[in-house]
Amino acid sequence: MNNIFKGFLVAIALMMSSFAAKAQEAGGTLAFLVQPEPPTLASYVSTSGPIGLVMPKVYEGLFDYDNDGKMVPMLAESYEMSADGKTVTFKLRKNVRWHDGKPFTSADVKFTILEVLKKVHPRGPNSFREVSRIDTPDDHTAIFHLDNPAPYMMRSFSAYESPMVPMHLLEGQDVKSASLANNPVGTGPFKFVEWKKGQYIRLDKNEDYWQEGLPYLDRIVGRFIPDASTRTAAMENGEVMYAAYNAIPNIDAVRLKERDDIGVTTDGYSMINPMALIEFNTIEGPFVDPAIRRAISTAIDRRFMIDTIFFGYGKPATSALSSNFKATNLHAAMPNYPETGDVAAANAMLDAAGYAKDANGVRMRAVLDIIPYGEDWRRAGEYLKQVMGDIGIEVELRYEDVPTWLKRVYHNYDFEMNINYFYQLPDPVLGVHRHYGTNQIRQGTHFVNSSRYSNPELDALLDSGSKEPDAAKRTATYKEVQEILAQDMPVVNLFELEFLTVYNTQLKGAYGSAMGAYGSFREAWLDD
Amino acid sequence: MTRSSKIFKFVLKRLLQGIPIILAIVIINFFLLNLADGDAVDVLAGEAGSATPEYMAELRAKFGLDQPLPVQLMVYLKNVVMLDLGYSFRHDMPVSELIVDRFWPTALLMVSTIILAVGFGILLGLLAAMRLNTWKDAVITVFALITYATPLFWVGLMMIVVFSLNLGWFPTSGMENVAAFYEGWDRVKDIAVHLVLPTITLSLFYLALYTRMMRASMLEQYGQDYVITARAKGLTERRITFVHVLRNALLPVVTMAGVQVGALIGGSVIVESVFAWPGLGMLAFESLFARDLNLLLGIFLLSSALVIVVNLIVDIIYSLLDPRIEVS
Repeated sequence: MNNIFKGFLVAIALMMSSFAAKAQEAGGTLAFLVQPEPPTLASYVSTSGPIGLVMPKVYEGLFDYDNDGKMVPMLAESYEMSADGKTVTFKLRKNVRWHDGKPFTSADVKFTILEVLKKVHPRGPNSFREVSRIDTPDDHTAIFHLDNPAPYMMRSFSAYESPMVPMHLLEGQDVKSASLANNPVGTGPFKFVEWKKGQYIRLDKNEDYWQEGLPYLDRIVGRFIPDASTRTAAMENGEVMYAAYNAIPNIDAVRLKERDDIGVTTDGYSMINPMALIEFNTIEGPFVDPAIRRAISTAIDRRFMIDTIFFGYGKPATSALSSNFKATNLHAAMPNYPETGDVAAANAMLDAAGYAKDANGVRMRAVLDIIPYGEDWRRAGEYLKQVMGDIGIEVELRYEDVPTWLKRVYHNYDFEMNINYFYQLPDPVLGVHRHYGTNQIRQGTHFVNSSRYSNPELDALLDSGSKEPDAAKRTATYKEVQEILAQDMPVVNLFELEFLTVYNTQLKGAYGSAMGAYGSFREAWLDD
Repeated sequence: MTRSSKIFKFVLKRLLQGIPIILAIVIINFFLLNLADGDAVDVLAGEAGSATPEYMAELRAKFGLDQPLPVQLMVYLKNVVMLDLGYSFRHDMPVSELIVDRFWPTALLMVSTIILAVGFGILLGLLAAMRLNTWKDAVITVFALITYATPLFWVGLMMIVVFSLNLGWFPTSGMENVAAFYEGWDRVKDIAVHLVLPTITLSLFYLALYTRMMRASMLEQYGQDYVITARAKGLTERRITFVHVLRNALLPVVTMAGVQVGALIGGSVIVESVFAWPGLGMLAFESLFARDLNLLLGIFLLSSALVIVVNLIVDIIYSLLDPRIEVS
């Protein structure tokens, strides 16, 4: 009887949930925060954050990824991979049209991958480096031919990472300076209408969207509000309903969370995988000896940094890879990353390595550069100065504006250590290799191997990691990678950043994609 | 020579004098801005996540940043002379288009602020001087002192807390309601509602300044010989104040207002930032960090031209207020 009753309840719950799922209301305008104002709207040339907030609503990828990381068909309906992993056949969706009415075909896919992403996209040359040829036997089939298996490629088909762009508006032009940049024409659920500089970007519903009944919203407006306190006030006032990537600072988010009409989530960043870290100059200056870098990693109280500076949002790093790679069995916890720090052990390590303290308790002096992306990082710098002082490293902090800082670290290599954060992205090949490989010592390129760390043994492992289709063998390879990096530590990982999305609870259906704020919002709706 | 043709000649002469001044400002700014490390390409590539050195070199060539500085300056000057302010590679738009787009919001904020600040400043200063050492004078003086001493951004945020969050009278920020996108007169009304808080915030600071200046200036004039003469003639206090003293007392206030128009363009950065008002101040501020030098130089050019023009207007107002001052 009890079971029957339970079954009855479950049935009611199911009915109610399906009823709720049907209750989406069409219409309304969603205003959300875009911070800062993007430089252009060319998401096929730049992976800049604010562009990512806007453009996946206009351009679409071949696939999206749900919160469990599963591939969701978008412009591609399905794919098939050959046994050797070197041929991938995509079946494309029919009846998809660009916003200007022209049909979307396999020629657009071929052009986008080979002529756009592989040539001008910051990460595309890496994601699609094994793609040598794309065959298009008909309008709705694209066959990718790879030189080597590229398992990571299948993680980079989202609208943010690899947007499909219209060939007929780019062909025969210089892709980087084409006028499409500021007048985007995509296949997505929303059409670009206007960009009022300093105010907003307006996107209106695509009435001819290929998925019947979507999108629900009539309009999406991305607003630019330079002042953080005003952004918070606009959120409180309901003038904006969605703010991702810490547009509302943590200090305000923890306060707003208490309100009934506002929610806070850390979901929607698993494909980005941001990691806070310190890069060291391993060629010249005080940190050439790995023993010192290990001692610094040992001394730092990661838990304290997360709790005190980032209001509890973050996870202590336990190796060179983010713990989000546990999903693909690539992550392994390593020594030298103690969660709460061990100053005594760090001091002992430095003593053993022969760095004696002078009369003032100072072993060495160094300058710490700080990423100029906000107050939190300055406070992180102040904490690091203090903890390094405890182990006899007297630190001076240096805080410059973005261009000066980039030039110093990535052009001139004129730094000793640098607080930074890197996106590890959905696969180590895409986000982590660039930090350690010898071939990633590329003077003048930003966010690559600025430590100038070079280790042939590691290079060989990274190479096999990128070509190995067998999951178990990949796990073993990356375990070795993490062991080497835990010893040499050209980069000391601090903690996995957890970005916050603050949203008005009236906004529903905007949280189903692993891309989070970089998603399409096609199923978003407003519940008045 | 008639008075109007005199004024015309004067204006022409001053405008001609302004040209070398503007050129000098452009040249000095050009070198000053180039002293900063890093360029627009660094910023663009940094924001993009990563870019190859070849790509960056290509961009530099495209932007003309690979040329030696004197060549870049010559190219820029040549364009300026032909009234072409150049191209902002960051925004992928002509500089003049960007500036014009952002000039109207700035002008709106500037004009309403000046009217409010100068108008009320004169009124309050006058009132305080007429009621010297009474409670009215004390209240006005203390009010001026407090508004002068309070940081603008704090006033702005408090305005938002009180009038937007608690009372719900005005929106927190922006220039238009983006959920509605009004048209016609509704749009004018919508913009006016959005203008209230930024204008009051920005006015308060200047209001205090003009109030104190007007009060001091009035008191100074009251002590002049011509006031004694007027009293001896048997004129009413009212007539003395409004016809004789007021006109003379206005001169320093008008001077100050003229000087501050230039400062208002730049000085509104804080207010523009707090209220997300799409003005030139924010644009200049952002382009500095983006090393968008063409755009910055364009904004500087515009504001220096504006200062010259406003000062010219002030000089003409002088001669109207006090016929003894002649334009020459």
